[in-house]
Amino acid sequence: MTPPAISTHGLTHTYGRTFALRPLDLEVEAGEIFGLLGHNGAGKTTTVGLLTTLLRPTSGRSTVAGYDVVGQAPQVRSRIGYLPENVQFYNDLTLVENLRFFARLSGLREPDRRITEVLAFLDFEGHDRQRLGTFSKGMRQRVGIAQAILHRPEVLFLDEPTSGLDPEGVRTLRQIVVRINAELGTTVFMNTHLLSEATRTCTSIGILRDGELVRHGSLAAILGAYPTEQALEEAYFETAGSPA
Amino acid sequence: MTRAGVFARKELRDLGRHRIVWILGATLALAVVIAVVVASLAFRAQMADYQAYVADLASSGSAVTAAAPQLFPLQLLRGGLEYVEIIGALFAIVVGYGTIAREAARGTLPLIYTRSHGPRALVIGKLLGIAAFWAALVTVLVLVAGVTVALVGGSGLTVADAFRLAIAAAAAWVYLMFWSAVAVGLTATMRRPGTALILALGLWLAIVLIVPQIGDTMDPDNQVPGGLFKALAIAKPDELAVLAHFSHYEVTRNGLEVTSISKLFERISFGFLGIKDKYNQQSLGFVWADMYRYTWAMLALLTAGLGFAVSVTTRTRLLRKTA
Repeated sequence: MTPPAISTHGLTHTYGRTFALRPLDLEVEAGEIFGLLGHNGAGKTTTVGLLTTLLRPTSGRSTVAGYDVVGQAPQVRSRIGYLPENVQFYNDLTLVENLRFFARLSGLREPDRRITEVLAFLDFEGHDRQRLGTFSKGMRQRVGIAQAILHRPEVLFLDEPTSGLDPEGVRTLRQIVVRINAELGTTVFMNTHLLSEATRTCTSIGILRDGELVRHGSLAAILGAYPTEQALEEAYFETAGSPA
Repeated sequence: MTRAGVFARKELRDLGRHRIVWILGATLALAVVIAVVVASLAFRAQMADYQAYVADLASSGSAVTAAAPQLFPLQLLRGGLEYVEIIGALFAIVVGYGTIAREAARGTLPLIYTRSHGPRALVIGKLLGIAAFWAALVTVLVLVAGVTVALVGGSGLTVADAFRLAIAAAAAWVYLMFWSAVAVGLTATMRRPGTALILALGLWLAIVLIVPQIGDTMDPDNQVPGGLFKALAIAKPDELAVLAHFSHYEVTRNGLEVTSISKLFERISFGFLGIKDKYNQQSLGFVWADMYRYTWAMLALLTAGLGFAVSVTTRTRLLRKTA
């Protein structure tokens, strides 16, 4: 049996006395596109921060790609890709210069060849010499995806990837995520508060409420429990409650 | 290429592209040129006075001869070194502060820290980049100074002069690197980069200006313009005999001065360039006998500065700034 791509047991994180994440038990199977839903402040970004080694857990343990996030952080980092919510780059550098920097940081021996491959995969050619400061939000997100998959990660973490994008950008990004999962076999862990995105993209979902995972399962199972067109919306508001 | 090498290359490139860095570098180079020009003009005025004096002697039929003032080209660099000591340290603080503050302000740290590299690769790489930058800038300043001395002073540098200049340049590199390392460490330590900048400027004020000034003020020879002992026409052996009665005072004064890396840099560079009369036209061995302890002290301070920067610039601290 294949071990889960992501596994957490009693994972918590506190900021001072405030619980950002209550004991989280979660498993995401390899090859899934997992969507973590929740209101703003529900703990989605904290969860991604813990799984990408950016934050240290207050208690509990977790593994990503089979490696312990705290004890084997370097191994985890070499197997994950990460796109933060507001991804930032070196705006004074061109697209290729930015990607070359991150490729070298990932230890790629032939960065330029891999950059060409990735840009072709993302249908994002022709912008090589353009400085990133001139890019639109949608273009920057694509660069964000490019830097995240340069080193062929096993697990890709996307924090609100469609935030701030226009409908065209949302659709493009959704197609990219699905292709990365289907063609590269990458497990995707995606934070979102857009229910339509989760419905169209994810194979399984979890719903966080005040730092607590209140629902977790395959998308099909959740949709099956609510036989209406707004099934996920109903499930979401029933479990996550109304926004404060 | 190692990950630290990747960061070093990026840092060097960033510094090369930064407008403020160019402005500060040009200012420093200009200051060195101006200092050499002013010193050279002063020497020419001295030479003109001497020639007028000799002409007066000749026209009065006097057989008395007077020694011509001698030009020691390296002594023209005194003002330039003082600029490096004062403005250079400020510049080095700006460079060290900028390297961390800029990265935090850009928000690129989460992307950097979700990649697999050693825990100190970023800070070591950045310090290597800064080290290469200072090496390049100091080389440019030495070339500018050398050419200016040759053109304005009308005197080329010998191989021996160039070697002494290289020693002074190495001291300048150590000095500037120390200030950048301290600024990197402080910026990493403080939650707000602005607080670190203020602290670094406070340190600069104390170490570059206040401590050396206290030492100078305590120097008995500085109590009268031109020198107390000279004004009283006291010969060197007698001066030393007098000072021997104040050895504890002198040890305290000297001890205070050498706590300042600026004073160490000044003593080493003035010593090897022969700017201080005691070392002018002396062999390197003679100068080294007096300077070796200052050299070690300066290297120890640089090591401490680098150690401070490397030990405090951690993932946790830097990511907290982005948060």
